[in-house]
Amino acid sequence: MDFVRLVPGFPLLGVVLVALTGRFLGRRGTALVACGAVGLAFAVALGVTGALLQTPPESREVEVSLFTWAAVSDFQVDVSLLLDPLSAVMILVVSGVGFLIHVYSVGYMAQDPGFRRYFAYLNLFVFSMVILVLAGNFLLLYVGWELVGLCSYLLISFWYERKEAAKAGMKAFVTTRIGDFGFALGIFLIFATFHTLDYAEVFGSASQVLTTGLATAITLLLFLGAVGKSAQIPLYVWLPDAMEGPTPVSALIHAATMVTAGVYMVTRTHVLFELAPISMLVVAVIGAATAFYAATIATAQDDIKRVLAYSTISQLGYMFLAVGVGAYAAGIFHLTTHAFFKALMFLGAGSVMHALAGEQDIQKMGGLRWTMPLTSITFLAGWLAISGIPPFSGFFSKDEILASAFASGQILLWLVGVITAGITAFYMSRQVFLVFFGEPRYSQHTAIHAEHRSVPHESPWIMTIPLAILAVLAALGGFLGPVLEDFLGPVFAASEARQSLPPLNEAALIILSVAAAGLGIFIAWLGYIRRGVDPKLVAARLGLVYRLVRNKYYVDEVYHALLIRPVWQAASVLATAVDQAGIDGVVNALGSIMQSAGRGLRRVQTGFVRSYALIFLVGVLLVLAISTLR
Amino acid sequence: MEAFFWVVAIPATVSAVGVVMMRDTVYSALLLVVHLLAVAVLFVLLNAQLIAAVQVVVYAGAIMVLFLFVIMMLGLGRGEGVKEKLPLQRPVALLFGGAMAILLGVVMSQTTIQPVAGALTPGDVLAMGGNTQVVGRLLFSDYLLAFEVTSILLLVAIIGAVVLAKRRL
Amino acid sequence: MPTTQELIAISPEIILALWALSVMFLDLLIAQSRKSILAYWSLLGLLLAGGAEFSLWGREEILFQGAFVQDNLSLFLDLVLLLATGLSLLMAKGYIKDLEMEHGEYYTLTLFATLGGMLMAGAGDLLIVFLGLEVLSLSLYVLSGFRRTEPMAQEASLKYFLLGAFASGFLLYGIALVFGSTGTTLLGGIAVAITEGGLLGDPLLLLGLGLLGVGLSFKVALVPFHMWTPDVYEGAPTPVAGYMSVVAKAAGFAAALRIFLSAFLQLAGDWTLLLSLLALLTMSGGNIIALAQSNMKRLLAYSSIAHAGYILLGVIALNSWGLSSVLFYLAAYGFMNLGAFAVIVALRDGEREYLALNDYAGLGSRHPLLALSMAIFMLSLAGVPPTAGFLAKFYIFGAAVQAGYGWLAILAVLNSVLAAFYYLRVIVIMYMREPAGQVAKMTHSPALALAIFLAVIGTVQLGLFPAAVVELAQASLFPFLGS
Repeated sequence: MDFVRLVPGFPLLGVVLVALTGRFLGRRGTALVACGAVGLAFAVALGVTGALLQTPPESREVEVSLFTWAAVSDFQVDVSLLLDPLSAVMILVVSGVGFLIHVYSVGYMAQDPGFRRYFAYLNLFVFSMVILVLAGNFLLLYVGWELVGLCSYLLISFWYERKEAAKAGMKAFVTTRIGDFGFALGIFLIFATFHTLDYAEVFGSASQVLTTGLATAITLLLFLGAVGKSAQIPLYVWLPDAMEGPTPVSALIHAATMVTAGVYMVTRTHVLFELAPISMLVVAVIGAATAFYAATIATAQDDIKRVLAYSTISQLGYMFLAVGVGAYAAGIFHLTTHAFFKALMFLGAGSVMHALAGEQDIQKMGGLRWTMPLTSITFLAGWLAISGIPPFSGFFSKDEILASAFASGQILLWLVGVITAGITAFYMSRQVFLVFFGEPRYSQHTAIHAEHRSVPHESPWIMTIPLAILAVLAALGGFLGPVLEDFLGPVFAASEARQSLPPLNEAALIILSVAAAGLGIFIAWLGYIRRGVDPKLVAARLGLVYRLVRNKYYVDEVYHALLIRPVWQAASVLATAVDQAGIDGVVNALGSIMQSAGRGLRRVQTGFVRSYALIFLVGVLLVLAISTLR
Repeated sequence: MEAFFWVVAIPATVSAVGVVMMRDTVYSALLLVVHLLAVAVLFVLLNAQLIAAVQVVVYAGAIMVLFLFVIMMLGLGRGEGVKEKLPLQRPVALLFGGAMAILLGVVMSQTTIQPVAGALTPGDVLAMGGNTQVVGRLLFSDYLLAFEVTSILLLVAIIGAVVLAKRRL
Repeated sequence: MPTTQELIAISPEIILALWALSVMFLDLLIAQSRKSILAYWSLLGLLLAGGAEFSLWGREEILFQGAFVQDNLSLFLDLVLLLATGLSLLMAKGYIKDLEMEHGEYYTLTLFATLGGMLMAGAGDLLIVFLGLEVLSLSLYVLSGFRRTEPMAQEASLKYFLLGAFASGFLLYGIALVFGSTGTTLLGGIAVAITEGGLLGDPLLLLGLGLLGVGLSFKVALVPFHMWTPDVYEGAPTPVAGYMSVVAKAAGFAAALRIFLSAFLQLAGDWTLLLSLLALLTMSGGNIIALAQSNMKRLLAYSSIAHAGYILLGVIALNSWGLSSVLFYLAAYGFMNLGAFAVIVALRDGEREYLALNDYAGLGSRHPLLALSMAIFMLSLAGVPPTAGFLAKFYIFGAAVQAGYGWLAILAVLNSVLAAFYYLRVIVIMYMREPAGQVAKMTHSPALALAIFLAVIGTVQLGLFPAAVVELAQASLFPFLGS
């Protein structure tokens, strides 16, 4: 299983080849290299997973150390890859979905002048993400964590000519930075406590070394990182804006893989989380709250990608709810199915936008099921999956989470989950109905289109084939559930298995959640197909509530007023006050006075040099006072 | 001897303050000569006759003459009075300077400096041929490195002066 | 008379001094059009001195009655200094020619400045610390004003000189007070006097130590002794600013390590509070003000201030890990910071330099390799893995945690979060903004390209495979702290 190193190896090679020789490869060659690298990584991932399956379940854990990275005194960190069922599932998802999205991108980005740059970034992202999930210690995890953040940032602002895109990239960077701050502190705290950063050593001695308080502190700090990266309350604000990036990027990074890194990390460190019941509760509550909150926002958005973005935030909330109640396998299961159906829907949205010359407003679409049959059918599969309609994949994984929440006794959280399921079905149905059903509304709005073709067209095969594969996975992926849970079992062997519910209760839960989903779809049908209820009228009736939801609860505005502006102002005030000579104007003015007057230097500098010396003197006084008077 | 110390030390301090306070650069320079001479006397009190002589010859003599020469040649005479841009600076500087003086004074008054006996008594020095010989010997033995580095330092200073001042390099 | 053994042990310093003199003589013989030969000649001298350092590795020689120590610590620091000097000379070669200041004195003074730094790194006597510092400082005063016709350069030089003299005064006063208290200026002698004379709480000694600290703080630009930094960096020739930012800092920390380790180790408890406060002020001050800079050199000036604050953390930790991470940090910082300065040097059109941040707009598409190098340096300075800057920060912060200064580490991490913002802004501008108005040009030069290339290699190498350098750094501290 040594060849697991090839999983990050191929994408890295891809980056190097594309970056260095892309000029000679041409578009076709670049596409081939980039897709090939990820495809090969997927093949290797399949291979190592197969090899892992050959070994007995208890010993399915292989650590491959590549080289000693950082070593001081008795402390040592290796660049080592840890292959166990958890990381195996993750690399399969990352490289598999990654490969499909790479292929799709070849069609989607075909006309883009930044083709080569795009694929270099995308390969770099796959590499980083694989490092993140395969890391055998916290330091390497952190490296992957930062690198995926960097890639995400680069890709969000890929079309930097658009001011919005550059801004969104910055926002993503700053917001996740807050989370990363907590994450870094958490790692330092682990280091201070355990004097090692190796997973095996930390997890092995955690129960003896950690007090509950310490465990709570560590896990909450780590979770802060997850909150930033996985866009949970209160740091979710960057993800909707991240939709400024190319759509396949949104599919890969901001739906299927990177944003789930937080879920993966909490699962990976579940040994620590289990020692801190409060942290578990926090994870579950934040997850449930985010799921509900983001779902409500999604009901009132008109941008096809933003609806999906809020939906992603909401689904990530489900995953945190799962791991928060100790249902790790269910969390990873939902992560996997979500990767399928959400990537599918993003790619579908991309296909729609591709056809409509970049239109993103769902109010200006409609009736596309006739003109884009493949896209619509595949999108419908995603819709049914996320709505939780059996036997589509989302049904199984969501049901698993809700059942676990119920079984763990968190009835309130379970209830929030069920209600959210209803809302989810509603907003997804709203989107599907507005985009694919009803009368076409694009002709009167999308004037741009007249220049090219008069009718929206289906996308080329290179984009529809990945859609088809993902649609199959989204539809049938649910049946992977038992296999997956069996496979992941040994990883979570130490933690208590969920108390299984009596079959009757289980059935009742299922019926309830399906009913909620059905209700959501029904309401959407009433409003957007049957037109029995006018959504505008409802919105007007709701008044303030609607405006609040429509404007995303004004959180961006509040953050800006309370956090960003004050910090910025403080920095500039300080800079002007302390660094008075730093204002270019002053320096330049002085320079010109000096040149024209030619009077030597004295007049100009004296003022500043003296005040510098004065501050110096204050410093001396400070130093002397502290060093002698105590 | 103790009384004589104060007789020299007070003029030394007053003249040093005067160097800074005087408007006229020539007065400043002359007060600096007074200061350097006073310090030379302090060296004598410490039995460091050689240093005292060097102080008088090199500093009070050569350097100060050069100094005055330059001042007069450039006609800097009376400084045109630099306009104070930040008028608050002076009182604040006085405040902090005063605070530092007090701090130093308090600390100094709390310690009794034990005179550290040198390796040689005045008698030894005489026996070895006097101050000059002893200093010379020390310079080329214990302080050889410092001596050599000083020569480099002076060389750097000369190069620097040439680079900054010469019209054409 | 010095013995042969002493001469051999101090041979790197001797080579450098002789080389500086030889440059002066060669300068007389070489025509103005071929002055760049001097650059290669100086580089050869650096290589020879570096070779001598290597051959001395592992020895521990106490020379000239204790005035100078040639051990692994000084050798490691010397190598950092020589490397930084080499990089800055590669940067300077074309630059000083284009800006019409290609005089032999530039190389002479640079070599002397490095010599001063090396003397500080190996000093066994406060006198040598002072003399080394002065050799370094005097050379730097002149070098920063080397562009004599430029008012900004004159201003920089004069400011640096005035404030530097001010700082030297405090340093000298500190030495005098220490001498008054202990009766010696030998570092080893001071340690002995403290133990035997029971001087642990002696106010006079503490006062002296404080003033020594002030003098060195000025050199490494700790807040509030930093005010000169941005003005001087801005006014000085760019290669000199880069040189200064690394060499002066490394030499200052070298002397601080020497003094604290050899003479005042017993007073360790007395200075932690003070140093923690300074570290805090320095990190935060540097980073916050850097946020609002629009000039590349000023930005790097404040960034270098902030980095001095991080490095201080390792000194505070004062365990073998902390001190070896100081050495590692200095090496990493040397590569990444000089690299960044080299990119600034490259971005000019003959005589005209492009220093405004906005001049970097569109660099990513016009000069992809240059922009990529700059991006690597910025990421490294920001501490993004897997660069040298990341590991250096990790080591330093880890050492602080290890030594029980968790709160300082927290504030340092917070600071580096803040700092990432302005480093990233450079990348954003390079890649994501179209140039408005005049487009910045790039000057090609093989030497400069080599400097940037070496800096990139160093930055990446120390980030990915730091083991060898960390081992060297640890070996350097072995005699002081055990393992």
